[in-house]
Amino acid sequence: MKEEMLDCLGEACPVPLVKAQKALEKLDAGDILIVQIDHSCAMKNVPEWAREAGHNVEIEEVDDGEWEVVIEKVK
Amino acid sequence: MLKKFSESIAKNDYYKAWLKDAWPYLTGAILLSVFQIVTIAVTGNPWGVSAVLANWGAWIFEAVGGSVDKWYYFSSSAARETLANGPLRDPGTMRNLGIAAGALFSALIASGFKVKKLKSWRQVIAAVIGGLLMGYGARIGFGCNIGALYSGIASLSLSGWVYGVFMFFGAIVGSRLLVKYFM
Repeated sequence: MKEEMLDCLGEACPVPLVKAQKALEKLDAGDILIVQIDHSCAMKNVPEWAREAGHNVEIEEVDDGEWEVVIEKVK
Repeated sequence: MLKKFSESIAKNDYYKAWLKDAWPYLTGAILLSVFQIVTIAVTGNPWGVSAVLANWGAWIFEAVGGSVDKWYYFSSSAARETLANGPLRDPGTMRNLGIAAGALFSALIASGFKVKKLKSWRQVIAAVIGGLLMGYGARIGFGCNIGALYSGIASLSLSGWVYGVFMFFGAIVGSRLLVKYFM
């Protein structure tokens, strides 16, 4: 069980999504990837992609306009 | 008390659905369609964004003593009239300001407003180069993705579809460059 932070603060779409996809590829099932984002459109496409791929997703609002998307890799 | 009030609003279901969370794409599409019809009905011109920016450039240039009288781009009578009327009587200027004000308001009311830090100078350079290319392309193509693509297709013009096909190929090249230099 590994937990990895991915800093995407200050990055615009689609950079956070592509970075999250690449980072998750390197992880094993059961590992957790936390994507830090402050771009509201990434708030839509990152969780959408992760849920569609079948992973468990939780969104935490860290601050005004700042979120952490917690993705647990399922398979 | 104000803190308590804002905390109770944050938990309100209607606040979350209407103001906090993003609306579904379909809702956005329908609203955009309705408002572009309102735009063409009220102003007599289809919705456009970037042509207004060129007019802003002309007004700024004239304000500092320049003249665009001999420029081919502003030589049509419609363009001359718009420039002569000034920004306060230009529907496009009002609409662009409205878009910026509305976007700011929606971010503020969703408590999603944040001044972002620059990630790298590479990002700044790419943004400047990208902006210049987009601005140049939008003027030489007589419209951006709103005026030429969206409004073009909405008015059943073939040019909108042609624009869309080539924008798709441009987007493929752009995403390749993005993955190569920003990942």
